[in-house]
Amino acid sequence: MAAIVFEPFLQHVCQLFYDSQIGTTIRESDNAFPIIESVHVLSITLVAGTIAVLDLRMLGAILRSTPVRRVAGSVLPLTWSGFVVSFVSGFLLFWSEAAKNYGNPAFRIKLVLLILAGLNSLIFHTGIYRSAREWELAAAAPWRARVAAIVSLTLWSGIIVAGRAIAYF
Amino acid sequence: MQPLFIALGHSALGHYMQTSVWGFAVVEAIHLLALAVLGGSVLVVDLRLLGVIFRKESTRTLDRDLSRLLLGSLVILILTGIAMVSEEALKCYFSPAFRWKMTLLAVAVLFYFTIHRHALLRADINGLTAWSRIAAAISMGLWLGVGVAGRAIGFL
Repeated sequence: MAAIVFEPFLQHVCQLFYDSQIGTTIRESDNAFPIIESVHVLSITLVAGTIAVLDLRMLGAILRSTPVRRVAGSVLPLTWSGFVVSFVSGFLLFWSEAAKNYGNPAFRIKLVLLILAGLNSLIFHTGIYRSAREWELAAAAPWRARVAAIVSLTLWSGIIVAGRAIAYF
Repeated sequence: MQPLFIALGHSALGHYMQTSVWGFAVVEAIHLLALAVLGGSVLVVDLRLLGVIFRKESTRTLDRDLSRLLLGSLVILILTGIAMVSEEALKCYFSPAFRWKMTLLAVAVLFYFTIHRHALLRADINGLTAWSRIAAAISMGLWLGVGVAGRAIGFL
């Protein structure tokens, strides 16, 4: 029932974005889309690449002698900066293509994976990471942190692949 | 160089990439994932050389662990890159963006394993100097250039 009401509403919102002044300007400009997309691709690279450093540390693959919280303190500000840039640039891309993106399966999968990545990070930070003081010196983190790391690596890989696939549909 | 690109396009790999439905998409996805790892490790190492992050960590340790990531992803990037070029070898050969990318890549790799590496190892003994910061800035600029030129191959 909710889906019956919700889906036409979302489609309508997407159409509004698509038809708006800004959306149309980006779409009809020769250079805007490629430039914004390049920024988006490179900033996503930074998000996934920097969070991977923390994930690999918790799995015991790199920087084994560096405390986990020190790695997180160095890496997470970069991840968040990258995320802000990729979110803003991604939203601008969506703005110009919203009506087409709405039904795009790769776009939908990407959004679901993004939400799951957010949930994974939330569970990690409110859960096992709170006791990081006790385990951060170990070469490999406890299993709950290692699971979070593997899930994070998997989800961000999926986000990159799904994001690229949007253009194939 | 042109005969090399023609040969690549006519090779078994080229033939597979040109005719397979999913071949290019899968190879390109792997290329992008490796790019993320390379971008992340370059950024972490260079921000360390700039003194922004990991200030308490020895540059030697960071270099050992992150260079391994960088090298591993670079090998994957080059292998998947060759496969992608084989799909449209001559188009790449004549593409200005592709030529820029290859030039920047050669300079970036050379720089990384010579001057940049020297700066990283020296930083452990001498601390951060103006030279190490300049090396970090040049390295980030070169790798960013490789990425931007790479994306531009699809547009130009």
